Amino acid sequence: MNDVLEITRDNWNLFLASLLDEMNIFVPVNNGYSTEYKLFTSDLENVVYNRPIPVTPLKQFFLPVKENVVINKEIHNKKLIIGIPSCDLAGLDLLDEIYLDERFVDSAYKDNRDHTILIGTDCHDIRENCHCTSYGIEPYPESNADATLAAIDGKMIFTVKSDKGSALFDRCRKSFPVEKPGEAMLKQVQQKRKETKDKLAAQNQHLPDYAATGDLIKRSGEDIWIRHSSTCVSCGACATICPTCTCFLLIDRPDFEKVRQVDACQYPGFERIAAGEDPLRKKHVRFRNRYMCKYVWKPETFKSIACTGCGRCIDCCIGNISKNKIFLEMAANS
Amino acid sequence: MSDQVNIYKPLRAKVEKVIAESPSIKSFVLLPETEFSFRTGEFIELTINGYGEAPFTPSSSPLEKKKIEVTVMKAGYVTERIHELQKGDVVGIRGPFGRGYPLDRFYGKEIVILGGGCGFAPIRSLLYNLIAEKDKFEKVTLCYGAKTPEDCIYKPFVDELRKVEKFEVLRSVDKADEGWDEKEGVVTVLLDDIQVNIANSVAVVCGPPVMMKFGTFKLLEMGYPEHDIFLSMEKNMSCGLGKCGHCMMGKYYVCKDGPVFTYEEIKDQPDIWK
Repeated sequence: MNDVLEITRDNWNLFLASLLDEMNIFVPVNNGYSTEYKLFTSDLENVVYNRPIPVTPLKQFFLPVKENVVINKEIHNKKLIIGIPSCDLAGLDLLDEIYLDERFVDSAYKDNRDHTILIGTDCHDIRENCHCTSYGIEPYPESNADATLAAIDGKMIFTVKSDKGSALFDRCRKSFPVEKPGEAMLKQVQQKRKETKDKLAAQNQHLPDYAATGDLIKRSGEDIWIRHSSTCVSCGACATICPTCTCFLLIDRPDFEKVRQVDACQYPGFERIAAGEDPLRKKHVRFRNRYMCKYVWKPETFKSIACTGCGRCIDCCIGNISKNKIFLEMAANS
Repeated sequence: MSDQVNIYKPLRAKVEKVIAESPSIKSFVLLPETEFSFRTGEFIELTINGYGEAPFTPSSSPLEKKKIEVTVMKAGYVTERIHELQKGDVVGIRGPFGRGYPLDRFYGKEIVILGGGCGFAPIRSLLYNLIAEKDKFEKVTLCYGAKTPEDCIYKPFVDELRKVEKFEVLRSVDKADEGWDEKEGVVTVLLDDIQVNIANSVAVVCGPPVMMKFGTFKLLEMGYPEHDIFLSMEKNMSCGLGKCGHCMMGKYYVCKDGPVFTYEEIKDQPDIWK
């Protein structure tokens, strides 16, 4: 299933335009400061491929901020999402493990997954907080993508990874001039991958890996959490923007309907019970809880990792808290 | 949506009867629109339409499929609304969820049950089950505590239980009145009075967190092994399915992995008594 084709960027855009009657297509667009997914139209400008992390993670398409999880959706809008970095694709492992657990399948999540085609992208650049390779994830898609894409020298290199990707590949091949990429082009793809890996290795050379981080957190004392959470305002951005944080609030609506709304363990009262007990009453305990969850508890009970090294929690923190700085401090003191 | 059962959609149930158990606790007998089965110790989510839902372990017999009873203490905004329910009102129920009491591990043993306040609710369901299978157990000792005599719930049930062979009931209240002729003091004092062969016994604890804590410590002091103390944990169980994260207790989702745990399973998890 590793068919590869090369298509010019102009023809690629025409191909996408030809799909617009059937599906909503989301592509990464540079907004001048960062990258974000936008609905593709033929005249959409500033579409950028091979860029690291869009501002919002992939999970927004499967776990939207609010979703009615009781009503039957009669119409499913098919989605094609293009330009997904490998960290976000890797994050789907944990989401699937939780939401597609065969004992309790979340139908709304499953429908969202089933009606979406995912095209991953190689990252040709890194952001200052990117650290996927520290957690064993390559900066190019290895799993969960239906196809992958690399844009090089005005050409798009499209690689099939699943049946869904294969169907798309066939449609493209039938209607547009495509070529099999030459050796030189494939070498360039590999060279770009190596360059990105080298940049990540240089940027994160002292950062402990996933398992070591869990051990450091387990051994840490209260002091470090009190100190580093002092600027935390409990806004919950770190959790809501995280590709693997999955907590939600179930809100009741008339007719016994329920809305699943994104929630965060950093909000006060997250675990409070009616009688008043609240294990996460103190801010530094809530703060530590998120790290314990991601690096200690989830690895004990799930097969998938709970941090993919995207760095968004650092990018978004208005308290200027960097988990990587915390881990480097822990590592230095261990 | 797909053909699968929707895990978030409540089953409708009509309130058949409201029983005032104490000044702050009421029981509600519910008639689900279709038969509803649960195993003792498992819990349900009770939905007030358009308002909210809260978790309760049924207090009725798990052998009864047509009716289900929940006992609710007025404590928060959902339970306040539940207390306003009248006969004929319609509520929603989801579940059953989680892991209940492992009765097969109780067979052939003496069972000591320590309950406090509204924690009697899951215990009553367990007791109905134990009564139905009483030939499989050596002896059952219920130690129940409440704040005052009027806070003691299930008075008619207790009277009946006292007549059942192999079952013993001891009660205490924190503050007695003139009419109280049972023990005065915190519930753990009742454990001083019981005759039990700990080597062939299991203990069950359910009640407010502080009572669970000191009850467990007392049982450990008496010599109960950690794996023979069964605790019914109360956390903020919301989805009931191990997804929403509100009831996490360390590595466990209480809603899915519990609510019944042995002390051995949870002793190293954080803040279990909060």
